[in-house]
Amino acid sequence: MRSRRREKAARSFGPGGDGFGLNRREVLAGSIGAGALVALPDLGISGLSDARRGKSGQAALRYVFLYGTPGPATSGSLVATSFPVSRTAPPPKPVPVAIKLAAAPVLSPDQAVTAVTTVDMVPDGAEITLTLLDATSAAVGQQGSLTVPGVPRDANVLVTPVFAPGSAIVSLVLAITAPAGKRLMHKADPGTGSLAPQWATTWVSHHALAYFDQRSGAIAGPFHLSGEPSLALTSAAANSSDLVMWTTREPKPDDPAEIRAQASLSRLSVFPLGSGTARLSRSAPGPWAAGEPVLTLPAGDVARLVRGRDVQVCSARTGEVTEVGIPAFGQARAKPSAVTMQARLDGTVFMTKPGVGVAVIADPAEAFRITGQIHFPLPATPFGAPWSKAVLSPAGDTCYVLGPAATGGLSAYEVGSGKMVGSYSDGRQYAGLYQLPSGSLLAVRPENPRLAFFSAGLSPLGTADTNLDVSAVF
Amino acid sequence: MTGYDTAGTIQNTYAAAHREFGADPNFWIRYFTPSPAADVFNDDALGESQGAWDSGGPYVGCISAPRQSRLSGSAAEGQADAQAFAAAMLVAYHAVGPIQLPSGGRLYCWLDQEYSTSLSSNYWNAWANYIANYDFAGLGIYPLYPCLYCNPNAPYPSCSTIAKAHGVNVPSAIWSSEPEPCGGVSGPSVWDPQECGKVPTRLWQFGEQDACSYSSNVDLDLGGPGFVTARYCFYVQSRP
Repeated sequence: MRSRRREKAARSFGPGGDGFGLNRREVLAGSIGAGALVALPDLGISGLSDARRGKSGQAALRYVFLYGTPGPATSGSLVATSFPVSRTAPPPKPVPVAIKLAAAPVLSPDQAVTAVTTVDMVPDGAEITLTLLDATSAAVGQQGSLTVPGVPRDANVLVTPVFAPGSAIVSLVLAITAPAGKRLMHKADPGTGSLAPQWATTWVSHHALAYFDQRSGAIAGPFHLSGEPSLALTSAAANSSDLVMWTTREPKPDDPAEIRAQASLSRLSVFPLGSGTARLSRSAPGPWAAGEPVLTLPAGDVARLVRGRDVQVCSARTGEVTEVGIPAFGQARAKPSAVTMQARLDGTVFMTKPGVGVAVIADPAEAFRITGQIHFPLPATPFGAPWSKAVLSPAGDTCYVLGPAATGGLSAYEVGSGKMVGSYSDGRQYAGLYQLPSGSLLAVRPENPRLAFFSAGLSPLGTADTNLDVSAVF
Repeated sequence: MTGYDTAGTIQNTYAAAHREFGADPNFWIRYFTPSPAADVFNDDALGESQGAWDSGGPYVGCISAPRQSRLSGSAAEGQADAQAFAAAMLVAYHAVGPIQLPSGGRLYCWLDQEYSTSLSSNYWNAWANYIANYDFAGLGIYPLYPCLYCNPNAPYPSCSTIAKAHGVNVPSAIWSSEPEPCGGVSGPSVWDPQECGKVPTRLWQFGEQDACSYSSNVDLDLGGPGFVTARYCFYVQSRP
């Protein structure tokens, strides 16, 4: 194994001149991924009048990153609508940052850094590169890579960066799935029913950990974990000292006895940051780790929102798991809903479930007692990407949501009273909604202009095109 | 031949559906891991199977609804989601004695792509390939067939993505979510779902709970002409 720090694509492409000093060759790229990332100035800031932008006249104080799949549309451009942007200033536009990402980016808890990962197959294994993008410049802040030796070229490597609040360590949870054998199978053609021989590959997954130190730029690992075969999917979060990770043992295909004994296949392990040896590991209650929202609570415990209605809180000290229901999320529906869970600076947690038209603020210090609750009509796409359909203003007094399925647009609710205090609709249906640090809102839709910016009062600020089908914003 | 899909558990859903529609379903389609925002069948396969039997529709089809942004992602993400889906179906199969594979040897496995979600080729090909190549229960047979639930006319990549697939990665069927003429279990009078060009549409979600104001927590689904959906589902052959 080896670890090193490198400047694979370090550059500055902040605003200036033509806007960005980035060319095609400098875009971060892995070899086996699919997702793409572009940077976009926070229009709420870059569009402010010159007097409010500061003496330098430089534009964004923070960028947002759009993650999605590149489409056939033309490259990004922006058209300001009614917002009083300076006529002499070039409009900000999305800029490509990365392509062929191994997984979706991850935003740091303080929103200052966005982590992206790429995987490249090299002669002696798989090269994993972690890049930390600075939100204020959209430039590469830090970068580290390591090679995991012995990984065959046809393996798949899933990389999940995990930030640790209060620590400079970024954990990398690796799921390495490699071919374990081939068998000749005879599979019926679904159209004709005729059997056709073909080779079927069987796969086996295991996990490994690595740790990137933002202070030194050093990367430690990989530490291969026992427990093979495991499912590749994991859930993980970290506090200032530990990485908490849920894994699932792959069931034995031909041995039902253990399953009929109702033995749990889920496991919860706690690793000291920097270590490949768990300081505790125990059976965990279901459901299996499956991409559910997970976050670190102020006390260092870890919460995960399961089944779209219950919160499991794991004690990072003991690994004990307790579960509390969120009553407002308990209403069953025919379709699943997007669900989100975000930590707030005051220690509370903001959770949304647009499929039942509810957003809540809960206090983890009081067993997730609900301190605020908003009910709103269901939006047109309560489950599709992006999953962010309702957001809270920075002050926490206003909840913005996608408008009703019948009208589209956006709506605003006062958190204290639960009453709607504003709405905007031009008939467009938006699929996702994000609160930008500037206080403005970014709504995304399927066709260009895919990006629409709104003020805190829901006045349209401007629109932008992008060639991405946006699935998330960071 | 009309059935229900639901994100709730069958045992907590069927009685209300029966009261509302006055008939037994021909089949159920239920969510399996990874479906992080739903009650998953594999969490309580025994209770769900009892519910399916008691409902009069002892056939359970399988769908997985991952976090939707993942469908835009990499092969590693698609393979990981398929691996968990296959394991979840295996656990359900082993956990309940009377659950049988379809007699025709083809269990259709649906991936849930919602309207505003983009499906990347890397994700789909890895997902479909893992499903198609899965040696289920060590039986030496390969009964899982990848299929796609989607809105064919959505402006996001779905039909265009699967049109580029080859071999076992080509989905066996499309389950179309549009249009929604609504109605009861007798279904619409004309088979008219939106369709992808290359892959046949075999199932049509013609009534969605919210759009059709159903009081019970089900969507209504109709198999296409000559297609008997129950034959591509798990079969609960006796009350567990």
